[in-house]
Amino acid sequence: MSQPRSSYAVGTGLFIVLGFAALAYLATQTTSIANVHQGASYTVEAHFANIGQLKDRAPVKIAGVRVGQVESIGLASGQDAADVKLSIDKRYDKIPLDSVASIYTSGLLGDQYIGIEYGHSKKVVADGGTLALTKPAQQLEAMLGKFFGAGGVADNLGGTYTVSARFSNVGTLSVGAPVKMAGVPIGSVQAVQVDPVKLDAKVTMAIDKRYNQIPDDSAAAVFTSGLIGTQYVAIQPGGSPDVLKNGSQLILTQSAMQLEDLIGKFLVNGSSSGSSKSSNTPSGKH
Amino acid sequence: MAFADIFGYLQRFRMMPSSMTDPVHATTDDSTLVRVRGLTTVLNGKTIFDALDMDIPRGKVTAIMGPSGTGKTTLLKHITGQMRGDAGEILVNGENVATLSRERLFALREGIGYLFQNSALLTDYDVFENVAFPLRQHTKLPEVLIRNLVLMKLQAVGLRGAAGLMPSELSGGMARRVALARAIVFDPMLILYDEPFVGLDPVALNQVLKLIRTLNRTLGITSVLVAHEIEAIKQVADHVFLIANGKVVAQGDPKTIAADGSPWTRQFFGGEADGPVPFQYPAGDLGQALGFSGAVK
Amino acid sequence: MNPRKRTGGNVVIQSLEQIGNGGLFLLTLLAAIPRSLRYFRETIRQLWFVGAMSLTIIMVCGLFVGMVLMLQLYHVLSIFGSTSASGMVVALAVYRELGPVVTALLFAGRAGTAITAEIGLMRATDQIDAMELMAVDPIAYVATPRFLAGLIAMPLLTCVFCAMAIFGAHLVGVTWLGIDNGTFWSNMTAVVNLRTDIVNGVLLKSLAFGLVVSLIAVYQGFATPPTSEGVAYATTRTVVASSIAILALDFVLTAFLM
Repeated sequence: MSQPRSSYAVGTGLFIVLGFAALAYLATQTTSIANVHQGASYTVEAHFANIGQLKDRAPVKIAGVRVGQVESIGLASGQDAADVKLSIDKRYDKIPLDSVASIYTSGLLGDQYIGIEYGHSKKVVADGGTLALTKPAQQLEAMLGKFFGAGGVADNLGGTYTVSARFSNVGTLSVGAPVKMAGVPIGSVQAVQVDPVKLDAKVTMAIDKRYNQIPDDSAAAVFTSGLIGTQYVAIQPGGSPDVLKNGSQLILTQSAMQLEDLIGKFLVNGSSSGSSKSSNTPSGKH
Repeated sequence: MAFADIFGYLQRFRMMPSSMTDPVHATTDDSTLVRVRGLTTVLNGKTIFDALDMDIPRGKVTAIMGPSGTGKTTLLKHITGQMRGDAGEILVNGENVATLSRERLFALREGIGYLFQNSALLTDYDVFENVAFPLRQHTKLPEVLIRNLVLMKLQAVGLRGAAGLMPSELSGGMARRVALARAIVFDPMLILYDEPFVGLDPVALNQVLKLIRTLNRTLGITSVLVAHEIEAIKQVADHVFLIANGKVVAQGDPKTIAADGSPWTRQFFGGEADGPVPFQYPAGDLGQALGFSGAVK
Repeated sequence: MNPRKRTGGNVVIQSLEQIGNGGLFLLTLLAAIPRSLRYFRETIRQLWFVGAMSLTIIMVCGLFVGMVLMLQLYHVLSIFGSTSASGMVVALAVYRELGPVVTALLFAGRAGTAITAEIGLMRATDQIDAMELMAVDPIAYVATPRFLAGLIAMPLLTCVFCAMAIFGAHLVGVTWLGIDNGTFWSNMTAVVNLRTDIVNGVLLKSLAFGLVVSLIAVYQGFATPPTSEGVAYATTRTVVASSIAILALDFVLTAFLM
């Protein structure tokens, strides 16, 4: 009688509350609102040579834990540097003055954020203070180079030696790209330059000293990891008894494939010899 | 408890908002509640009423009879203002139904009970809520009062025990009695019964018959029946209209009409298959339809 | 009122006629809102049938949509080593498209058909006429409360659907496939925007779909010939017309909102 009516009302009320709870959840937990800082905070400045893709309200993290966000980004007056103001939660007020602020990227394609690594100073940074030590945003290319281990190998493990190679086309090969032999990183690209006279590309590679038994008639080729991956230099060992030394030049090279060339090769028989010839013979084609 | 007692008690609770149910306020002093004058209706090219005249007497049980398809139900819809004629007028309690505003029409309808052929109970609600529906919609009575009123109306139709059932759990006869309780919950001045006896077993038929009579005798509610059951009508009706071809072809009290020798009443009351109401639906020449040429008859 | 009066003519004319009648019917419904305020309880009751009773199917479907979307994206994105972005992609896909559209389609199938069938049956059994005769306006008592209930229920259901989809994506992505919990959320919160994704995507779209589906359902209920075949036919038409309208409107809204 009047019983069902009131139970409808209660059930409907529950339904409406549930719906609004879901809305509140979506709006506050899964949107950028979740990044809007609430509660007391203090502001710290940091200067970066390059902020990359850093945006307002990007998170500030310590040891991966979110402690605040980027409040504003501007150009520091009179300097070739970005002035970034960080708004940090009052609860985290024990950040040493000599901490390092770096700009990182979450994942490969993610947004950038600021990570703070603690220093050892007894002094803490105060409201309005400045973090003097900063590391700028890494370029993806440099990061990739590091990621594939070449940079790390070259930098950290007791010295490298330098060899060079000439390519008619290096594609998108960039500084820091790995140098691999049999798929294993043995070094990294140090420089890519255009020879003003011969009009080809000269690639300088730093190779780990541990790998000092590479025959001097080895071939260098610019390959791509996967279809859309980054490019790297692959070294295919030759049969000569002599080995590469610091300053040697690799004679046999194979240039980066252009997608168009690849397809052309695939379609037209016998053009492979022509293309290898053209890559071995530096010409002014490009 | 006898019906009379219940209704006597009920009358103290009359709460019709409109003045029409109150006999004191009845505007016309004559004995006619529904006056139909020159009603002409054409539906889909077919003339349903052709200058129909009819006077339904106040406080009586009036039966409207006629062959199927003559628009008896349509006539009821004209009286309630659901349909409007192409010409002529219908006065219910002195008001011209066709020209009323929606508000006035709704006020008028509160004084009219309508019993549908298939009862038309609201399937969402149980029996109690169905009967309480008009009260809840048009009054702000306290729940206790609504409860008492509804239970008394249900008692009157003998279904107080079924208050908690859903319409789907009712038999046809029970559903019709519930619909009747709903139709009288506002103590209307007029009840229109659309085929109240169709599909009822003899027991249920007699129950409904008794209810119609009791409601009319004890409350003085004017009743209009559309029905075919001649025996039932003879028992209950004070006045009978026989409609055919859009006109009233015979009227009077049931016994005189039955004794009247006109071909219409002979066919209708005698139950003959052919007569003024043709056995054949109007059609072209049979011979031609069957492909015979010429004079095959 | 006989919205199905045929003027004959071809399919195009008839469709236009239906749309025109639907538009007029919408005006009738809206005009009846003040009168239906006194039947507020009825609106609440319809909200229960239309909204709360659809919760189960919406929640289960939302959960599975989120789960399967995450599974698919994980395998595609792992090719590019960016599986951590999958939570974000799930959120965007669900908020902008799948949430409102799938909820509306489910709503049309679950609640829309129920509304059409119920009203059609009420007409077939003279309940609508009975209301007229009890001086109760069937538009204000039957049509508008159901229409309003659909209008209110759709955004709420869509929110629940989206929340369940995010939950399902989290379940598969974080609990099962091992995406980092923090990355999952931070990628999502970095990209999802309150105005363009939640307000424009979830709320506005679902409100528009709710209006269209409820209108079609109520209209078909009233327009159906009051016979049992008529009711069956009208129920089918509610689903067909709603689905087409939802997807077409989705395109238009996306084109204008995004």
